[in-house]
Amino acid sequence: MNRPELLARLLIIAGILLAVGAPLYLWSRTPLIHARMAEAGGWTPDVLQAEVGKPLHLKITSDDVVHGFAVGQMDMQSVDILPGKVADITLTFDKPGTYTFYCTRWCGLNHWRMRGTIEVSGSLSDPSTRSGQRPEPGAVPLYVSLRLDLDAPHDAPSIPPNKPSAVNGQQFTDELPITNYQFSDYYRSHSPYQVFTDLSTTPLTESQRWDVVAFLWQSNTTPESLVNGKRLYAQNCAACHGENGGGDGVFADDLTTAGESSMQTMAGAMDMAMQAPTDFTDPRRMLGASPALLQGKILRGGMGTGMPMWGSIFTEEQIWDLVAYLYSFQFEYHP
Amino acid sequence: MAWILLGLLAAVVAFAPLPALSSPPQARTLRQGSAQAFEIDARQFAYSPSELKVNTGDTVTIQLVSADVVHGLYVDGYDVSVEADPGQSATLTFVADKPGSFRFRCNITCGAMHPFMIGKLTVGSNDWLYRSIGFSILAIIGILLFPRSTPITNYQLPPTDH
Repeated sequence: MNRPELLARLLIIAGILLAVGAPLYLWSRTPLIHARMAEAGGWTPDVLQAEVGKPLHLKITSDDVVHGFAVGQMDMQSVDILPGKVADITLTFDKPGTYTFYCTRWCGLNHWRMRGTIEVSGSLSDPSTRSGQRPEPGAVPLYVSLRLDLDAPHDAPSIPPNKPSAVNGQQFTDELPITNYQFSDYYRSHSPYQVFTDLSTTPLTESQRWDVVAFLWQSNTTPESLVNGKRLYAQNCAACHGENGGGDGVFADDLTTAGESSMQTMAGAMDMAMQAPTDFTDPRRMLGASPALLQGKILRGGMGTGMPMWGSIFTEEQIWDLVAYLYSFQFEYHP
Repeated sequence: MAWILLGLLAAVVAFAPLPALSSPPQARTLRQGSAQAFEIDARQFAYSPSELKVNTGDTVTIQLVSADVVHGLYVDGYDVSVEADPGQSATLTFVADKPGSFRFRCNITCGAMHPFMIGKLTVGSNDWLYRSIGFSILAIIGILLFPRSTPITNYQLPPTDH
């Protein structure tokens, strides 16, 4: 073998090694994130660092069951994390801050505890982007500015004899000066029962007033909102609160049992009831709650009960969609 | 003569329609091809109920309710499957047109014992069980009634040569 040929062969071998090895080396440098059920450790690692504008590559695998990956308050498709497979995800952040990533496929009673954070450093690349996506710093949620106590009982003193109908309610709206009730500020800060009492100056009967309330609640939402709320509810709430809102989801019994053992020594039997998921079909509870109160409960979570804190995951718009959907368990809306 | 009788009985056992299937045609069409609905509760690592019985031609609807993690249900032989998250129960509908016994299994990895999460779907009645019981009874009767007719001749050891 003469020298040039040997050189050529060596060159080709080196080229092949580089072509195969370089991507492999880069790929192996991205650390593998393991997803496990919350009881077994959740995400490892659960704190990630990123920089504004620089793509963040993630490789995630599951060690036990099907999990999912999504970043809260970010417009992204959730990615399924299957055991024995590695999911490649690339994220780009255009705003600094702390983001929450979370599991999107139910993986047990403590599914919602499977969360981690991404710390994004750097300066704002373009201030005009993502406006409205996250609440501005300093902006407080409505329940705070209204000074609502999220844990106070809020049962409606009286309830309608049957499900109020928005179709019936619409008939009475022509003759009533109710346009001021239709502003979203009024709707968000008043419970259905408060509106029902506000309407007592009108000549309507009680059940007619409830029908008007149903109409007002529907006119403050859109069919798209309700569809979106229904989807979010099915994915995130139904496992405990039940697919039909009855507080009878597949985890309801487990939650009550878990509540009994954890609360027993602390405050006695009365507090145990807190652990049972709320029944959204109960008119006493729902008609006494204003949208702002429900928004607060979803934002903040249950504090010690099984109810997670959703404030770092849902956008404000998503929470309002959910709230609108929750009222649909109480009111008969237009088809 | 007795042999012929036994042979006839065997033929009856093998080919006679079973009482369950010999009901009048009207009742049969009503019974067969009807809708069968099941709600299966899936949790690590079992289905409940884990045995389903349907008639051939039934439209089977299975509502799968997961109670802990994401589970699936795949019916062998029919090649249909469904996947359910807790809180999002899912429905699977298919026509059970193939008789026999089929395994159904979880097809979403759901933990360490996932391969053992199985159940059984039986389509149609289990003819062969009853027919083989019939054959066994006939065989016992045959053994008892017809002792060997040819005498056993005295058997002698072949002479050994030392």
